[in-house]
Amino acid sequence: MRRGLMAWDGNELPQGVLMQRIEGLRALMKRGGVDGFILYTNLVQPSAVTYLTGFTPYWSDGLLLVRKTGAPIFATALSKRVASWISSTNPVSEIVNTPKPGGAVGERLAADGSRRVGVLELDRLPGGLYDEIVGAAPAVELTDGSAGFASLRQRIDGAERRLIEHADALAVAALAQVDPDRAADAGAVTGLIEKQARLQGAEEVYIAVAPNLAADRRMIRVSGPLPLSDRFALRASVAYKGSWVRRTRTFASDTAGRRALARADAWFENLVSSIVAGQSIGAQITGRIDELAGATVNGWMAESPIGSYPLQAIASSRAPDRDGVRAGGFMVLTIELALDGMPWLGAGPAFVQTL
Amino acid sequence: MFTPLARQRKARLIDAMADAGLDLLLVYGNAWQNDYLRYATDFGILEGQALALVRNDGQVTLYLDSPLEVDRAQIDCPGVEVIHAPELVGEVDGALDRFRNQRIGAGPHRLIPRRIAARSRDLKLSDQTSMIDRLLMAKLDSEIDAIRRAARLADTGYAVFRNAARPGRADYELIAEIEAFYRTNGVDDNFQIIGVGGPEVRGMAPPSSKRLKRGDLVTTELTPCVEGYYAQICRTLVVGEPNGDQAAAFALYREAMEAGIAAVRAGVTAADIARAENDVFRRHGLGDYVTGKYTRVRGHGVGLFADSKPHILEDVTTRIDAGMTLIVHPNTYHPVVGYMVLGDVVVASEHGCEVLTATPRELFSVPA
Repeated sequence: MRRGLMAWDGNELPQGVLMQRIEGLRALMKRGGVDGFILYTNLVQPSAVTYLTGFTPYWSDGLLLVRKTGAPIFATALSKRVASWISSTNPVSEIVNTPKPGGAVGERLAADGSRRVGVLELDRLPGGLYDEIVGAAPAVELTDGSAGFASLRQRIDGAERRLIEHADALAVAALAQVDPDRAADAGAVTGLIEKQARLQGAEEVYIAVAPNLAADRRMIRVSGPLPLSDRFALRASVAYKGSWVRRTRTFASDTAGRRALARADAWFENLVSSIVAGQSIGAQITGRIDELAGATVNGWMAESPIGSYPLQAIASSRAPDRDGVRAGGFMVLTIELALDGMPWLGAGPAFVQTL
Repeated sequence: MFTPLARQRKARLIDAMADAGLDLLLVYGNAWQNDYLRYATDFGILEGQALALVRNDGQVTLYLDSPLEVDRAQIDCPGVEVIHAPELVGEVDGALDRFRNQRIGAGPHRLIPRRIAARSRDLKLSDQTSMIDRLLMAKLDSEIDAIRRAARLADTGYAVFRNAARPGRADYELIAEIEAFYRTNGVDDNFQIIGVGGPEVRGMAPPSSKRLKRGDLVTTELTPCVEGYYAQICRTLVVGEPNGDQAAAFALYREAMEAGIAAVRAGVTAADIARAENDVFRRHGLGDYVTGKYTRVRGHGVGLFADSKPHILEDVTTRIDAGMTLIVHPNTYHPVVGYMVLGDVVVASEHGCEVLTATPRELFSVPA
């Protein structure tokens, strides 16, 4: 649940930037021959609406309707009493508080005489909202617009990059609080990281732990006492003003282990700072693993906010990409290595550069 | 293997499916609305979305679109078949084809993805939301025990909150203290909103970087989750000593909450409880402030969801049964002092209710 700082700041995310993004969607709509575009949001699927409006719901859900002209309409089941809060965090939309957001959107479509309307992730749209939309606008053809929207999200603008970098700085600083010599309890460490990130203004923090990498490299959610072994890993998924990153770090309490981890950390930072467009991600990872003595790649995953999810897998070692990513894009890269016979887990943001 | 509590829940679910004549149940969940999914699978999803298929022989298959969640579910839910489904809706849609000509139920109906919901007739998919709602509302003793543990952590969490509140601190810093305390003490989720200020404050929302100052009312609704079960507490504090208006307003809210709690017992309706609370406001000439213009609900159920059915409103006729867990909270805007909250969690019994939260019903004060 969202429970950290949620506020819109025009210096960080100017209204003009939001309007440019909306105009980008309108250009996409024109090319696709649709009269409007509908995007669903809730706290699990907030990213597309956050990208266009700055708004993220802390509860309930809603629909954003972008028409050819005029302010987008944000229809939500959040009660009217919080309309002023929504307005304060959503500076570009007309707010409609209604128990039937789909009905409100459908009525607008019908009144506009819309014929064909794009929907982000149409198959995944909650059936109840879909029924409300088509009930109010039975003549409108709804068509999936996910691929087009993803193309819009293959590049990020300067404002988004700065928010991502801020979120990353929060994650890095929070993980830096962990001292493997003194960290004995995973619950206490989780609390420490969350506190640090939230005190610095994080909107949300999810911490996952692999408490004993020698036994299991999978990560779990921990609250309460759980012993940490001499080699463990922590993943901090951190949001700041709607932009998410993940940072994963591996920790060791012995000197030799720390030296090895430091080599892997440096290799990883070099890798993520040099991801280039036009080459497959997998090739860029495996092509550089020889630079890290004693390491083999066990797996990797690249995630990007191309739809409603804050981070969505776009390629992995199980489903590699062929063509590579575009310049100006953003991804979180997660890599699992075997390093001197022990697991090493790392994750961090990569901003895709021109070759 | 399922935990003993999860096993008991699943047995009830299978019985309910048999009573409804179902061969298969499809449930949906995400981190916002996870109660139906948690009931069936015991998985507390955080990222992405999930669909689960529960067969009448007890076999449960959990489909997750997040690879990170798959790792976690395999560890957390050893009695469940976990499948990574990057194309979640398509894969479950395909799986449902194998159950054609069987009787399939689904819930919560509103959130079933469109592609699957559109095949309701073809798949003989019936809306079983109310069947699951009944299970979610009527708690087992072991579920009440979990809510009791969560209520204790609501109390200790509120003490942490009070200690963190002082002039100059930002609202989100108070939340940071609470969350750190909870992560260290067995609470993996918490729903919390906050209000800071005076008569200009009309409700609670997530923190927005308001800084506390002398005279502010600081309202919060804390909802820690233990083993999937939420309990809630609502309290108000004043930065500095309360003034006469604040103290008088609080006395009214306390009277209303206690009237509501006194009304809780098996056999009454949600409306009866709401009416008991609202009548207090009406007697004091504040009847307008119990309407939808100023307040949402006068309480609600708690359990595997932070805001469960039944909603405590004068037009909700749901019967209260023994074992139902509710929060009674006459939270609303007060025209003189601003938004004020007070609420306790109770479990209904045949002749009354047991209050699970133990924090004093005071208008707290922190040094200015």
